[in-house]
Amino acid sequence: MALLQISEPGQSTEPHKHKLAAGIDLGTTNSLIATVRSGKAETLADADGKHTVPSVVHYVDSETIEVGHKAKQQQSIEPGNVISSIKRLMGRGLADMDKIKEFSANQLVESDTGMPGVVLENGIEKNPVEVSSDILRVLADRAEETLGGELGGIVITVPAYFDEAQRQATKDAAQLAGLKVLRLLNEPTAAAVAYGLDTGSEGIHAIYDLGGGTFDISILRLQKGVFEVLATGGDSALGGDDFDRAIAQYLVEQANVDSGDRRAHQLAMIKARDIKEALTDTDTVEVNFLEWNGQMSRDQVEEIIAPIVDKTLLSCRRTLKDAGVKVDEVDKVVMVGGSTRVPLVREKVEKHFKVPPLTDIDPDKVVAIGAAIQANVLIGNKSDDDMLLLDVIPLSLGVETMGGLAEKIIPRNTPIPIAKAQEFTTFKDGQTAMAIHVVQGERELVEDCRSLARFELRGIPPMVAGAARIKVTYQVDADGLLQVLAEETTSGVKADITVKPSYGLSDDQITNMLQSSFSHAEGDMEARMLREQKVEAARVIEAVTAALNENGKELLTEQEYAAIQSSLEQLNQTSQGDSVEAIEKAIEIVEKNSNEFASRRMDASIAKALVGHEVDEI
Amino acid sequence: MANAQRNYFELFGLEPNFFVDQKDLSSKLKRLLQSAHPDRHAQGGSQQQMLAMQKTTRLNDAFAVLKHPVKRAQYLLQIEKDIDTTKDHTVNDPEFLMQQLELREELDNLTQQKDASALMDFADKIEMMAEEQETALGELFKQDDWDLEALKVSIYKLQFLHKTLHDIELAEDKILD
Repeated sequence: MALLQISEPGQSTEPHKHKLAAGIDLGTTNSLIATVRSGKAETLADADGKHTVPSVVHYVDSETIEVGHKAKQQQSIEPGNVISSIKRLMGRGLADMDKIKEFSANQLVESDTGMPGVVLENGIEKNPVEVSSDILRVLADRAEETLGGELGGIVITVPAYFDEAQRQATKDAAQLAGLKVLRLLNEPTAAAVAYGLDTGSEGIHAIYDLGGGTFDISILRLQKGVFEVLATGGDSALGGDDFDRAIAQYLVEQANVDSGDRRAHQLAMIKARDIKEALTDTDTVEVNFLEWNGQMSRDQVEEIIAPIVDKTLLSCRRTLKDAGVKVDEVDKVVMVGGSTRVPLVREKVEKHFKVPPLTDIDPDKVVAIGAAIQANVLIGNKSDDDMLLLDVIPLSLGVETMGGLAEKIIPRNTPIPIAKAQEFTTFKDGQTAMAIHVVQGERELVEDCRSLARFELRGIPPMVAGAARIKVTYQVDADGLLQVLAEETTSGVKADITVKPSYGLSDDQITNMLQSSFSHAEGDMEARMLREQKVEAARVIEAVTAALNENGKELLTEQEYAAIQSSLEQLNQTSQGDSVEAIEKAIEIVEKNSNEFASRRMDASIAKALVGHEVDEI
Repeated sequence: MANAQRNYFELFGLEPNFFVDQKDLSSKLKRLLQSAHPDRHAQGGSQQQMLAMQKTTRLNDAFAVLKHPVKRAQYLLQIEKDIDTTKDHTVNDPEFLMQQLELREELDNLTQQKDASALMDFADKIEMMAEEQETALGELFKQDDWDLEALKVSIYKLQFLHKTLHDIELAEDKILD
């Protein structure tokens, strides 16, 4: 907890120590991990030289799992014990399942996460967070083996169009895998970073990102190392898999397959992918699928998939409008995601933006590479440039009002972090509680939006109707994650809030899951926590003392100064003992006493950034 | 040791004024964020990160207000004259009220006809009216003694035009779907 260390931008407080960090592209079909080594970001390969890890997990039995290529091979042998495309279920509820085509209804059950659990033929049940966590762990292991040390932190990419629940589920998965998340980064922004830093390109960029299961379009302005997202849009349930599905549908019709034959449908999907990939280089391909033998031409397949591509272009149009950018102002279009290899996609995108799309960096790797660059900056390894990413919130955040209407509190494409407050009041005399329903989406009716959480605000002092002033504040952090606070302001009474996320895990659930996997090492855990707490205390003492010496006299009254100093002495004494809680408590007191000081120091440093620059310019 | 929070203009090193150079504002925001953004404090503790988030939030908020002519005018009246013009208020100007009604009716008709190009022309027209109204508002702010009633009315008129522009966008979204 380096409380008051305000270092110059891009400068590490410990310049000699290179910390290990990685970027992870957790994809619907494939995942990758990348890291910066000797100043160059690159994806990491397994022992066989393969970089991509299929996002497929085979649950062999309760002890053994296989992830990646091995699991994928099992898919056609025992599909009932293999889970793929789990990203489609992240942050979703059972009610969303009609939109998700990869899983049949009888495979899915209600789980205590609010998300559907997947039941396998061998009886094992897994929720989406657990499956994702298993994939993340395998990736992290690869990095730790290659780099020869523990990862200090990771950046995980998410589709820009992921909503709050989907983001939170992703972060939970990392936590479950025992990984420290430095930042959730939007996939197109990551691609822009990789591309922009590689080419030094400036101006308005459109990032067209068509992955296996998601589509994102982001419009960014690149200027002197600042990556400013102007608008983002897309569809979190549309991707290259839909191409496969459309082609598979055609195959299934040709072969007269029974609609309930799940095995045949899965085979058709695999066949469809082969056909799609083959037609990238040739014009016709021979197809043998079950009873049906025939030929498919590129024209024929393009006709099948054209409506899906057109749907993505409609999103592009809307997002340009949101960005306030006209099509001819776009300087460059960068293609991301394996599905942009499809020639029709490239043709249509070029026609829409009137510039040839760029595919210089491998579209499969570009996102992971961008994430690795950002991870390297955030972990504190010195970076040459003042790279800064300014992102936006992809979907409007609102609240349910009378009549089932959704009122927007933070509109989409607002730069983050951001906070907005809205006032509500009671409508009955003596009302002491109020229900608040947080929703996300663009539609007017609550039932068409995504339900994020329901709050109950209790303990409002009884007043006449309309007299209470309930301030509801939405705070979105740099990860795009939302926190909602509610307070009754006239009485100054802070009412209790109970939060029940509609999807996702509570902190307790995560702690339980973590503990059950670590329970055998409980003693070790305690000793480790004490060690960590002591290190933490030492760091806080050092940082605050240094800050006090630097400008404590200048920024603090004598009383304030004395208060901080005495809490530091207290912490120093407590940290000699061996009570984790006592040290934690003492650190908290130092933080509480020095918060205002830290704030003033930061203000001074921010103001200096403005003044310093103006002096430079003269 | 002054604990009072600096106002949005001061945050950007500006005097409170209706006239703000937008290009300068935007480049200043980026400079300020270079130092305030949570990414710049990722190695600090949770408290430092929390503070960085709060400072950045305030900068983003300030930028949004100073960028937008209606919000900027409202904010200026708030900090200089302690007048809140964000709540609903009535304008006693029959001619303007009439025009309001007509414009709303035109928008409703175009929305029902789903005519995207006519809607775009309509947006151009409103945009021009908004620009004229903004110039008029600027003239009022130039006066040494602010005519508060005239300012309130002028802000309200500009607000109405911006609201109409916003509604046109919503209508366009619907047609695009």
